Amino acid sequence: MRLNRNCLFFILSFCYVKGVDKGNFKSCEQSSFCKRHRATRETPSAYIADLKSLSLHKERAFIDVINVEANIPLTLEIIALHNYAFRIKIQEKNGLRKRYQVENALVREPETAPIILLEKKDDHIVLGLDAVNRMVIQGNPFRLDLFNKDGHVITMNGRGMFKFEHYRTRKTLPEEIPMEHNPETDSQIEPLDAEEVQQTSEEPPAEVPVNNDAEETEPGMWEEDYKSHHDSKPYGPSSFGVDLSFPGSNHVYGIPEHADSLALRDTLNGDPYRLYNLDVFEYELWSPMALYGAIPFVMAKGKEGAVGVYWQNAAETWVDVRDVPGGGVVSSLMKLVSGGASEPGPHKEVHFISESGLMDVFFLLGPGPKDVLQQYTGLTGVTPLPQMFAIAYHQCRWNYNDQEDVQFVHENFDKEDMPLDVIWLDIEHTDNKKYFTWDPIKFSDSLGMMKNLSDKGRKLVTIVDPHIKRDSNYFIHKDCEANGFYIKDTNGKDFEGWCWPGSSSYPDFFNPAVREYWKEQYAFDKYHGTTKDVYIWNDMNEPSVFNGPEVTMHKDKLHHGGWEHRDVHNIYGMLVVDSTFQGLMARGENKLRPFILSRSFFAGSQRYGAIWTGDNGAEWGHLQVSIPMVLSLSIAGMAFTGGDVGGFFKNPETDLLIRWYQAGAYQPFFRAHAHEQTRRREPYLYDETTKDIIRQAIRQRYALLPYWYTLFYENEKTGIPPMRPLWLEYPKDSDTFALDDVYLLGDSLLVRPVTESKATSVKVYFPSDESAMTIWYDVETYETFTGRGYKSIEVDMYKIPVFQRGGSIIPKKLRPRRSSVLMQHDPYTLVVALDEEGKASGTLYIDDGESFDYREGKYVYGHLDYQRGKLSFRFLDAGRYSDASWVERIIVAGLRLKPHKIFAQIQGTKDHVELDFKYEAKMHILTIRKPKLPMNYEWHLQFY
Amino acid sequence: MKKLRIYNFNFAILVVTLICPENVLSELRIKGLSATRATLYDPSHDFTCLDGSEKIPFSYINDDYCDCKDGSDEPGTSACPNGMFFCRNIGYRSHYIPSSRVNDGICDCCDGSDEWATGTNCTNNCYELGASAREEAKEKHDIQQRGYQLKLQYSEQGKQSRKEKQEKFEILQRERSEIEAVKLEREALKEAAEIPEKEALEKHRAMEEEIRSQRQASEKQKRDEEALAAFEQLDSNQDGVLTSDEIMAKPIFDQNGDGLVSEEEAKFFLSGQTEMTREEFLNTGFVLMKPYLTHEEEVASPPPSSTVTPPAEGGELPEIPEGETDEEEEDFDHGEADHDDRTEDSEVLPVEETLPYDPETQKIVDEAKAARDAYNEADRRLREIERDLKNIEDSMKNDYGPEEEFSPLHGHCFEFTDREYTYKFCPFDYASQRPKHGGSETRLGQWGHWAGPENNKYSIMMLEKGVQCWNGPQRSCKVHFTCGVDNVIMSASEPNRCEYEMNFVTPTACAPPTGSPDDLLAHDEL
Repeated sequence: MRLNRNCLFFILSFCYVKGVDKGNFKSCEQSSFCKRHRATRETPSAYIADLKSLSLHKERAFIDVINVEANIPLTLEIIALHNYAFRIKIQEKNGLRKRYQVENALVREPETAPIILLEKKDDHIVLGLDAVNRMVIQGNPFRLDLFNKDGHVITMNGRGMFKFEHYRTRKTLPEEIPMEHNPETDSQIEPLDAEEVQQTSEEPPAEVPVNNDAEETEPGMWEEDYKSHHDSKPYGPSSFGVDLSFPGSNHVYGIPEHADSLALRDTLNGDPYRLYNLDVFEYELWSPMALYGAIPFVMAKGKEGAVGVYWQNAAETWVDVRDVPGGGVVSSLMKLVSGGASEPGPHKEVHFISESGLMDVFFLLGPGPKDVLQQYTGLTGVTPLPQMFAIAYHQCRWNYNDQEDVQFVHENFDKEDMPLDVIWLDIEHTDNKKYFTWDPIKFSDSLGMMKNLSDKGRKLVTIVDPHIKRDSNYFIHKDCEANGFYIKDTNGKDFEGWCWPGSSSYPDFFNPAVREYWKEQYAFDKYHGTTKDVYIWNDMNEPSVFNGPEVTMHKDKLHHGGWEHRDVHNIYGMLVVDSTFQGLMARGENKLRPFILSRSFFAGSQRYGAIWTGDNGAEWGHLQVSIPMVLSLSIAGMAFTGGDVGGFFKNPETDLLIRWYQAGAYQPFFRAHAHEQTRRREPYLYDETTKDIIRQAIRQRYALLPYWYTLFYENEKTGIPPMRPLWLEYPKDSDTFALDDVYLLGDSLLVRPVTESKATSVKVYFPSDESAMTIWYDVETYETFTGRGYKSIEVDMYKIPVFQRGGSIIPKKLRPRRSSVLMQHDPYTLVVALDEEGKASGTLYIDDGESFDYREGKYVYGHLDYQRGKLSFRFLDAGRYSDASWVERIIVAGLRLKPHKIFAQIQGTKDHVELDFKYEAKMHILTIRKPKLPMNYEWHLQFY
Repeated sequence: MKKLRIYNFNFAILVVTLICPENVLSELRIKGLSATRATLYDPSHDFTCLDGSEKIPFSYINDDYCDCKDGSDEPGTSACPNGMFFCRNIGYRSHYIPSSRVNDGICDCCDGSDEWATGTNCTNNCYELGASAREEAKEKHDIQQRGYQLKLQYSEQGKQSRKEKQEKFEILQRERSEIEAVKLEREALKEAAEIPEKEALEKHRAMEEEIRSQRQASEKQKRDEEALAAFEQLDSNQDGVLTSDEIMAKPIFDQNGDGLVSEEEAKFFLSGQTEMTREEFLNTGFVLMKPYLTHEEEVASPPPSSTVTPPAEGGELPEIPEGETDEEEEDFDHGEADHDDRTEDSEVLPVEETLPYDPETQKIVDEAKAARDAYNEADRRLREIERDLKNIEDSMKNDYGPEEEFSPLHGHCFEFTDREYTYKFCPFDYASQRPKHGGSETRLGQWGHWAGPENNKYSIMMLEKGVQCWNGPQRSCKVHFTCGVDNVIMSASEPNRCEYEMNFVTPTACAPPTGSPDDLLAHDEL
């Protein structure tokens, strides 16, 4: 039944797929390396690991891996990492050219752990982190198997699709290539081959075959054309790929960004998922096509546990996903080495293919999905706690025309008593698309405009894109040109492309001097007309090159250090944001937390701020896909994301806009945005009912800011994102593994926004713990839903189906204000939702909402707990913050008996204060009136 | 003088306060309440929420906790999301603000009363605001008064104009029926006169045709004779063939004026050949050589009859009918081709030469023409009347407002220039935009309808169906009418793509002023 529904869903979705011109973007077939690697499905290549070559050090091991067809020795480096992870690197033993090792993605050099040689046999070696978490290296054919407490969890090259295109010199033109090669001629080019051949030919019975002609002569290896663009490929082929299978896992997630379901689909009948940062116009839904960002990380979900693979590579990467039917794939060797691990049943397999760079892979052994996330964010970092305004409501449009327009917009929000924290200015605010400048007439008094915003506690975000107008009077261009800061053409001249300003060049952020320069531009005495309340939006940083191949940079353009753009493409956008982040830190003397929105991203981008899902459209399908897109980003470390509310392109119908506000209010990054050619759609422009519904939706967001803020703080501590797929909290409930319409905020709120036109009811999946007794309370009515499975929920236009888990306590602030800053001292309402045992707990984090003082201990992080008639608030650590806020109301839902009396005692006082309360017997709801509990003290209430 | 009166009024309140302190003070004690509402809050009783939903102890009023769903228990705090706080703002307009503004650190009431708990340093600037507001109100009142007077005049004009139009319309209607009758009558006469005319003309044309063909035959004969004579003259050796030698011997063929007739020049006249038979000469050679021969004749003999050459071309140099022309000539290619045609035609048939009508025919034709002219005159007049009628009818259909006050605007246009464009607004006609620095005018819309809200229909004029935007909708323009003494466009903008808005200040939007300017300041609580 559910399957049918999903099928129908897919069919319907395809109906309104339109817009993107697929012909502007490559298919695997049009990308020669992808095509070559995909062909290994039919003809597996032969590699052996020379186990005798094992060289074991304290925390790492080296083994030679040899391509028996080409006799090219590779080095496999195995590094044991702290926190249950292995890292492997593979590269030529004596490469003609150094391979690019991704920099800036890892938060720091990962902490290594001692490596234990558990077993050494002729045909395999077992290396362990401990006795359980271990890696088996099989010699012939070369293969890796990884184990954790759940048993056999990952296999690399089980299907023999490993293929490593070594750097080579171009021998001859194709037509002059002789029909046969022999090892001697090869060894002239690769001087060390002969030696290796001898070594390897002694041991394995596999004879050394002649070099494969086909490989050398395939088109696209030494140059490649796409449309009118030529890729000169001076270094020839350098790609590599391998299959990774996950025995016991029927679901894999991750590798954002794609407009697709959260659970990755089998791709064998179409193109693989593609990771290549591109500026895609009107992107297609439910598609593996590449979008603006790339995080080469997958998580595989088994019946209970999970494991992850982080494929650290910044070049163009394709990922095939396959549903493997049970049996036969993993050889009987497994039984031998794993002490009788059974044949794997149906499971998922992925095939990673990258065009260049180092093969650098992290195996994250979980064993649970949250463990994998912690391992991954331990490597690549977490999103630092944003300022409060950043998680409030943002109003954007391409474009607010001038300073009067900006004033008009926020005045109208005030007129309608709709909260608003941030107004955004798109490209038209600049002087002719010269970033770091203002249009001298339309924004003649940006400081005056800023004052009006700041007076209401509001902020402004201006756009700063990385394409620089080639205008000899533009100071940035003059500096970049004079200092050689631009990305270079193959002939060494500054590359010139076409973007918003017309002829443009692109600063090379791989050059540390460029990053330093970019950082300096944000200083208040350089970026004139800005104040501490101005924050930054880095758009078009894939980079977008209007006249480049696939609307981006040519792969043979050159970066600092001689790297080709091919090697580093997917990381460019992140480096732009990194420099901006440093700039915002520096301009405010490291006091205020930066806020930056970026469109392009890579593994690690979460450390700098928010990203959004790019240029979506005003269609129900785009609203629907926003949920799996944000979830996919969330489980790949990007905690702070959201889609344009209302849809960027086209005009939303009123009901779509309403539903989008309601959904957006419950996604981490909440911003409305619209294309230049759409009608104005600020919420104050609508009829009274619509205005009221949208006002309520935005106010719900603001009411929950204390909860969101706590979740973001906890994300910084743990790497667990605020917005979570259900299986992150209910890893054993397999019915949750493929849901795209429902999710959790933290572990306490279940959200199933209405994303269907004209819906009068929605089916909500309620997850449950093993006892199947989890209670979910409707946050508006306190109606309860118990147990696991689907329930139909009636919805009118006001209704946002949100449910609080029994057993949780959620802090809210129910007093609406014009902006979040103005709520700082407002009192809290605590909503205690009891589980079937009558218990509940939660956390609350409080600080000044804007500075880094929290890192010096100026905060309160408290634990709220209710059981057996006692509600207590206790500090979880040594953080202290003197805050004027207090508790004005406590609602306890699910309390079966009315207390006679309730007393409050605040730590450090002897008084037991009797509190007023009200009890609604029918709904079992207790409301404690004005307990006046301060949040900078511990306290407890006792029910009698 | 007026200020003084307000102070006096305040004083009166103060006096009341002193007289019955208990009652009034208790009202004043409840923050955020207006005096009129204060009567609903009686401290001697429990308080019933104004929506009746709850009964609470009076001590719960303004205790910073929301008990009533309608927010009525917390008029002075921010506790209720839907409450309202009353800013007394003595000296200025008192008004309500949403509870969300209370104690948020921003001074919203000019008396600062909304920030009673935050310690925000609010300065009371109500009197300053009041003074300038009164100033403004006075000015506004003044404008309104003057504007309204003008509007009354417009109204007069409009009504007069409608009356005139109505009268004109009736006159024209009468004229129309008269002229329709005349037209019918004349049409009959015209048709009657045209029958004999047709017959007479047919007869005349037949005659003309016959004469023409006779003349053509004799012309051809004459030309052939002329050609033959020329041939004989040119064919020096009389062998019946014209050779280049013979041509070269004749200086008249020296085209480039170098004193010699070259072989090329000769070849040109022989149509590219070296010789030419008599037959060929008659067909082609003569045409080429004739102008030169004529030239010679002019020198040698008296001028022939000039009927052949059209007078307009008499003074021109001979044309080179075919072959190479230099570039300068090509520029005039078209015109010269016309000349050529006419030249050739004139060889065959002199167009301007027609056979004059015989007196009888002439009379019939004249009569018919007179009848036709009379008919056409009637028809033209009828159409004129109909057009005038339609114009009046259309213009009477326009909604010029309940008092015809907008009528005088019709037929006028107003312009506004900003950084990039000059906007034009012609009420009841169209609106347009043209780039300031050259470029063509774009229609933003044509008169559609009044589009103000129900209670103020005439506040917005909608102009629609303008030029289609590229890849977008048809342009439209909304013009907001506000009261002013002159008719001026104050601003023009494009808030949505292809949807324009203008603010038009005009006496037509001035409502009748009421009372004194001070009445524009609401001081309901003073």
